Amino acid sequence: MHNTLTRVQNVFGFFTSVAFAVAAAIAMSVLLSPQTPSASLELRNVQVVKGRPHYYSTKREEYAHVKFDLDADLTSLFSWNTKQLFLYITASYPSSDPTIIPPSEAVIWDAIIPSDYAPLHPNTYIHPTSKTAPKPKKSAKGKGKKEVGKPYPAGASPGIVRLDNQKPKYQITDVSGKIAERENATLTLHWNVQPWVGALVWTNTKTVGRWQGLQGGEAKFAFPPLKGTEVKKDDLKTETGGERNRGSPA
Amino acid sequence: MDQILEQARTIYEGEIDFKGQQLAELLTYALLTISGIIAFLAGFVTQNIYQTLYIGLGGTALTFLVVVPPWPYYNQNPQPWLPAKTGKSALDGVSIEVDGKKIS
Repeated sequence: MHNTLTRVQNVFGFFTSVAFAVAAAIAMSVLLSPQTPSASLELRNVQVVKGRPHYYSTKREEYAHVKFDLDADLTSLFSWNTKQLFLYITASYPSSDPTIIPPSEAVIWDAIIPSDYAPLHPNTYIHPTSKTAPKPKKSAKGKGKKEVGKPYPAGASPGIVRLDNQKPKYQITDVSGKIAERENATLTLHWNVQPWVGALVWTNTKTVGRWQGLQGGEAKFAFPPLKGTEVKKDDLKTETGGERNRGSPA
Repeated sequence: MDQILEQARTIYEGEIDFKGQQLAELLTYALLTISGIIAFLAGFVTQNIYQTLYIGLGGTALTFLVVVPPWPYYNQNPQPWLPAKTGKSALDGVSIEVDGKKIS
């Protein structure tokens, strides 16, 4: 510590130790905040039609289009160390030979739900506004300001998701190209809790310490037989998230 | 010119005395540890991790400011030089050899 340079080195060196210790304490502190996630997920409609992977493809495959209802309360997943929550729903179905081949899983919908403190990002989820909720009054003050959608319903907090007859984000198919009439399929809600510092946490279905497992969030269904052109194109539309801006300025 | 360079060197090196070094070390550990604890608690109580970040960085900046410059309170106990010896007694107890020959 006899001259300026050694003092700078010593202070900075100890600062890194303190920063690491505080980060470790923050990462561990999330174990203290109780979690009680619950969700009700239901299949609304599923249709299977023929399609092709991209415009110029000559390959014809079967695609399933799954609509669902989701009513989830995941507010307890937002502790002080939660930056954002990645929510996703998978459709899984058993393979042709379950003893050898594990079941297939395909994501049909996902959303990034930021915490209130997370900086604004164009890819984060915007919750649809419900038809029954009163529309915000337009005042002269807010005229110049552009309305920015929230990742949760009006009056709620991050982690509340209420979706009614939600379109999927992705149509799904199987490697074999055949997905119609598969039995024992399951829709499942999953998540990743992405912290500011610490470990990424996946869906927990079992209770660990103060963290309760997810209640609900599963729905059984079966893929229906293939349909032809009687299905309207409008019924097979998919939802696009903020990430459709990919590559263009936000 | 030499005097100016000497002054510049003194400012750049910023040397402090032994007691000052002990104090600077104590202050480094105390200030950084306390600011780390306060930062964590403030963030935990307000449930806002930005509090932790900014209090932590602020505490570190303060520590740099307090410890790094050679403030006068680090030079309160300068180590005195030994009194200069003159004449024959200056070489008492000192043996100098050059090419195997004893000079004194």
